[in-house]
Amino acid sequence: MSDTAAPRARMILPRPLIIGGAILLASVVVGLFPALFAPFDPNAFDYGALLQAPSWAHPMGTDNFGRDVLSRVIHAYTIDMQIAVFATIVPFVFGTIIGALVGYAGGWAEALFGRIVDAVITFPFLVLVIAIVSVLGPGLVNMYIAVGVVGWVFYARIIAAEIKVQKRLDYADAGRAMGYTHLRIIFRHLLPNAITPAIVYWMTDMALAILLGSSLGYLGLGAQPPAAEWGVQIADGKNFMATAWWISVFPGLAIVLTGLGFSLTGDGLAEVLRTKR
Amino acid sequence: MQLASFIARRILQLIPTLLFILIVVFALVRLLPGDPASAMLGDRALDADVERINRELGLDRPLPVQFAVFARSVATGDLGDSITLKLPVTELIATRLPITILLTLMAALIAVVFAVPLAFVAATRRGRMADSAVRGAFQVGLSMPVFYLGLILLTVFGARLRWFPVGGYGDGFLEHLHHLFLPALTLALSLSAILMRNLRAAIIEVIDAEYVQFARAKGLRPRLVLLRHVLRNALISTVALFGLSIGTLLSGAVITETVFAIPGAGRLMVDSIYARDYPVVQGLTIALAVLVSLTFLLTDLVQAWLDPRVAR
Amino acid sequence: MKTLSIAALTAALFLGGLTDASAQDRGGVMTYGRYTDSLFLDPVLNDANVDIWILTNIYETLLNPTDDGLGLEPGLATEWALNEAGDTVTLKLRDGVRFSDGTAMTAEDVIWSLDRARNPDNGIWNFVLASVDSVSAPDPQTIELKLKYPDPTIFSALSVFNTAIMPKAAFEAMVGATDAEKAQEFAKKPIGTGPFMLDSWERGATMKLVKNPNYWDNGADGQPLPYLDGLTFEIIPDDATRILKLQAGDIDGAEFIPFARVAELQADPNVKMELFPGTRVWDVIINVRPELDGRPNPLSDEKVRQAMNYAANKEALVQVVTYGVGTPLSSFMSTTTPMHSGDGPLFPHDLDKAKALMAESGYPDGFKTSILTIAGNQDDLGISTALQQMWAAIGIELEIKQVDNASRTDQYRAGTFEMRTGGWTNDIADASQITSYFAYSPTIDALHSGWKNAEVDALFEASQKRWTRPSGRNSSRGSRKSSTRPGRPSRFMKRPIPWRLARM
Repeated sequence: MSDTAAPRARMILPRPLIIGGAILLASVVVGLFPALFAPFDPNAFDYGALLQAPSWAHPMGTDNFGRDVLSRVIHAYTIDMQIAVFATIVPFVFGTIIGALVGYAGGWAEALFGRIVDAVITFPFLVLVIAIVSVLGPGLVNMYIAVGVVGWVFYARIIAAEIKVQKRLDYADAGRAMGYTHLRIIFRHLLPNAITPAIVYWMTDMALAILLGSSLGYLGLGAQPPAAEWGVQIADGKNFMATAWWISVFPGLAIVLTGLGFSLTGDGLAEVLRTKR
Repeated sequence: MQLASFIARRILQLIPTLLFILIVVFALVRLLPGDPASAMLGDRALDADVERINRELGLDRPLPVQFAVFARSVATGDLGDSITLKLPVTELIATRLPITILLTLMAALIAVVFAVPLAFVAATRRGRMADSAVRGAFQVGLSMPVFYLGLILLTVFGARLRWFPVGGYGDGFLEHLHHLFLPALTLALSLSAILMRNLRAAIIEVIDAEYVQFARAKGLRPRLVLLRHVLRNALISTVALFGLSIGTLLSGAVITETVFAIPGAGRLMVDSIYARDYPVVQGLTIALAVLVSLTFLLTDLVQAWLDPRVAR
Repeated sequence: MKTLSIAALTAALFLGGLTDASAQDRGGVMTYGRYTDSLFLDPVLNDANVDIWILTNIYETLLNPTDDGLGLEPGLATEWALNEAGDTVTLKLRDGVRFSDGTAMTAEDVIWSLDRARNPDNGIWNFVLASVDSVSAPDPQTIELKLKYPDPTIFSALSVFNTAIMPKAAFEAMVGATDAEKAQEFAKKPIGTGPFMLDSWERGATMKLVKNPNYWDNGADGQPLPYLDGLTFEIIPDDATRILKLQAGDIDGAEFIPFARVAELQADPNVKMELFPGTRVWDVIINVRPELDGRPNPLSDEKVRQAMNYAANKEALVQVVTYGVGTPLSSFMSTTTPMHSGDGPLFPHDLDKAKALMAESGYPDGFKTSILTIAGNQDDLGISTALQQMWAAIGIELEIKQVDNASRTDQYRAGTFEMRTGGWTNDIADASQITSYFAYSPTIDALHSGWKNAEVDALFEASQKRWTRPSGRNSSRGSRKSSTRPGRPSRFMKRPIPWRLARM
């Protein structure tokens, strides 16, 4: 809460960052060691316990194959957290590099990039990803590729704008005067000062990646069975909303909670970085 | 006039963008495994039938020839006929796109109705419970998948409480509005969350601004001052955000239209990709690109009109 | 897909009030939820079920299948006969049949319609009348078909939708240079002899049919059919939404009800959920080519396939996937197919035997393979997920690949898939059609599996030219029990859904 922050308060981490960080930390731990937390094998069928309502034995009930919903929600952390990271890391790195180069170079490179941005933002992102996944085949890796093909543009746009500002500042001129190479100026001097907004955006993007990953899972194009993934689980349960709501509702809550973790962290981080500047 | 040349320049800029999109889409739909004939004929198709239909559709010709034919017809305003629906693509767009436009406009309106009072409350009670609650709601709204929210609204307000029809589009304008309310609400949530965040920040800026303090000192009723500034800011932010998030809204519309059974352009796009209906995918892409570009242009103009500082 | 039946996968639903209506109740409009819209309403040139199901309300054929799907009854023809040599079919036309525009149906319309339907350049259904050499009318009420060779399926062919009778003059008056162009115009406002006619059609949203005032048949009360004033079809692709609309009373009936919902809907007092026998068969197609993608294909090993069949617990699959609605198959055809034989599963569940067979096979340590399913199809997913578990027990690691339909069809036709889920419904109530696709290799390589058996091919060819029952094989399309049959809005029968796994 920068608006209330007195100079002394800078040392204290903002509350959103603490809450968000705690949620993310817990998510990562659960995602790394799901077997420690899950009471059952997430893929084991139990024909004797189909569609059971939440109880002490199955706190989130069972699905239409008798699988324990809680265990599947827990194991899904592994996949969904992986989606959050892998679907964004390539666009982040690649987009940052391209954005830095384009922003520094300006001229025709910038004009060409502008056209690419226009083209990407005029086409519904999800439709483009669906089309690319259809070309490559379903599955997580292909989904990462599809997201990467499009997603880098957003990072590049942010970085390019920042670099353009930075390169006009004195220290960039100083670097040039000292005879440093362009690449050294870009990556050693300009980028560290320009990267903040991209990092903040990255947090939001990871939340968006989970939404996108689960949307594709819901459509059958994301994580493939028997892997538990929240979107897939919601799709599995959508026919049972009237009779066995728990199959869909709990995985949805997990998505919301994790998304909350990322966006709170992003907000908090933005505050910290803003005050630091 | 300056405005006219500005618009003309923007429209000229659109041409290379459109061409680029066209080439990408043309290539992409042809990279998809399978062809329209076997997609149409299904599992029992005999080779001879598949070949005959592809020949009839001109799909046996080399790709550059196909692209030339396509580009020429686009230039004359003819987007071809749908392979599966056997209707002119322009006709399909004319019936489907307005539905999606209505849906997104309703979503934007709902977002404003939600966001403005909440942002006002949060900003004036900065750091207190109400603020935290509103900001918490905002974070939840951002993290909620569209298909999940849609499914829940549909089950609760459609099937259980029967307040709204369960999907579909209805006949007549009032019925359209009734049918589109839940889907628009679904689509509005994330937009209103972002809007609220921006508005809250904007209002805080206004409150802290010196001229408001000054107005207060002059004895003007602070609420009135605030309200005027808030509404103006609300409009500017909404317009700007609507422009920025039109792509996200259209992506959301694809899923919303599927969950709520609305015969809009988003669903037509996905259906056509699945059916390998090349002419529809291409034509709809052009239509969407033009729509989005016009939205950008319009939001720029409206913003300039509302806030002269943006204009330069 | 060129399959016909709304059966099984679908099971139709009606609100209690509607089905309880006595035969004399007249009027009203029924609203029916469909999973997708029709594409092209031409009986000859269409290529999809979604068209056929609507076409049968607008157009009629010379003969109709009986309610049980096993025999034939009069349609636009009242009598039909075959000569001693088996090469000439004679039909008597019904008196007083008029098209929906009021013009009378003539022998000329019939000849033109059948000639159009059998023209090899027209559509994909002309094979139905491949045996016909010529069509003529010795007198205005008689139609004569000369055959090139004795054809046991000729009478059922005359009950298939593509042999429907259309008005020649009205069709030819359409603008357009070719038959296809005229058909495109004509299909916008089709004129047929059926009980309903197209009133309006908003693509992808709603299609409205209204009663044909010139319909020839009368109901139980002696008044002209149909009982209903109209039919409205609403397009609702999402299963869950379609069912919610049904439960909310927004629509009167719905198709493609997932098995998972059957029990719930049967318990719902506001919904009448009935199951009827159909010809739907579900199977898993195994590619048996010796090499795939340059590597040896374990699925080409017969012992492996037998082991997989024994390891797959069909009873459990039927339970998990159809919630007990279906039954395991005893051959590749459904029990409702004429001349079906067999009374027990060919490969009863036997894990020990499966393991022993695997040990004897060329892959005692198991292998990795994959199955193609349609993305978002919960039934497909259920089958594959269950098989994944069952085959893990014999060391087979099954990867499930969800793809869109066009991608799957592409790999299927190219013969590059390993396994895929499959389904079948009969278009003609005769064993020949399913056999020609499943076993007879020249049609499509036995479901593109690469399986070929010279003896089977020879036997099939011989059977096609010979009448097994002199009166003509009982045949009809399995699906004419369309939910929208005039006046009988709910003619459905209890139906076991056949289940079949893994062809050998």
